[in-house]
Amino acid sequence: MSGHHPDSKTMFDSYIKIATALFALTVLTWVAALDWVPKSWGEAGNTLHIAIGLLIAIVKAFMVFYVFMHLQFDNKFIRAFVFAPIFLFFVLTFALNVLGP
Amino acid sequence: MSSGLSLAHEPVTKVAHGKLAMWIFLASEIMFFTGFFGAFIVLRNSNLELFSHSAAELTKGYALLNTFILIGSSLTMALSVLNLEKGNIGKFKLFLGLTILCGFGFIIVKTIEYTTKFSHHIFPWTNVFFSFYFLMTGFHAIHVIAGMIPMTFMFIKAFTKKGYNHPVKVETLGLYWHFVDLVWIFLFPVLYLIFPAH
Repeated sequence: MSGHHPDSKTMFDSYIKIATALFALTVLTWVAALDWVPKSWGEAGNTLHIAIGLLIAIVKAFMVFYVFMHLQFDNKFIRAFVFAPIFLFFVLTFALNVLGP
Repeated sequence: MSSGLSLAHEPVTKVAHGKLAMWIFLASEIMFFTGFFGAFIVLRNSNLELFSHSAAELTKGYALLNTFILIGSSLTMALSVLNLEKGNIGKFKLFLGLTILCGFGFIIVKTIEYTTKFSHHIFPWTNVFFSFYFLMTGFHAIHVIAGMIPMTFMFIKAFTKKGYNHPVKVETLGLYWHFVDLVWIFLFPVLYLIFPAH
């Protein structure tokens, strides 16, 4: 490992917290996809559904990268190397989905 | 673990060679799946009605269950690495075994999902949505199986007289396993949830 890791008790606590947050955000993704937007919103309602779903997925992805994959402890070179394709992925999926047909 | 430079560490990043190689591989994997996601979204935008009707055929409950299974497996994988680093071999074996079980659980649920689709005469050649559905989830399932093979090897080795005490190798495999979870985090809303009601 390249960076300094906190003690194992702190690591254990952060793993449990992140896993709980990931479970909660999964439920939130499910709820957000339900038909709660008024029909009168039309296409804007669909765009809102998509934006919320993707934003939650992006938050979950950062949690996994930073805590489970220890990117918070890796050096800047690794972070920059990994975030370049991730950034392209986020821009592509978000732009294509939200800008839509 | 040595914190200084050694033959096993890349001099610029000061990361173990195997771990750096895994990050490079994962960066290429991100681009591999980005291609699928990009093509899927572009086709969806020009076939919105077809994609919405086809997505309604998917069983969202199976996908939700698999999301919980994979998040659980990421947690057990992280805990197995943590315990091996601490020298708690018993807990390392327990959490690694649970991770393998979660992997099997995911594949079983995916098999049930595919079987249900086939019984409803839904195949990869049914339409472009289902081509992408089977392609993306199929490639993801192959990644899950590919991760389970070295994991099972480490698990079996841990029960031998010599044991298995290579935290960096287990951590490197953990990176791959968390990536598999990450891909599913995006597949779940993109394939199953974000289609407008019709």
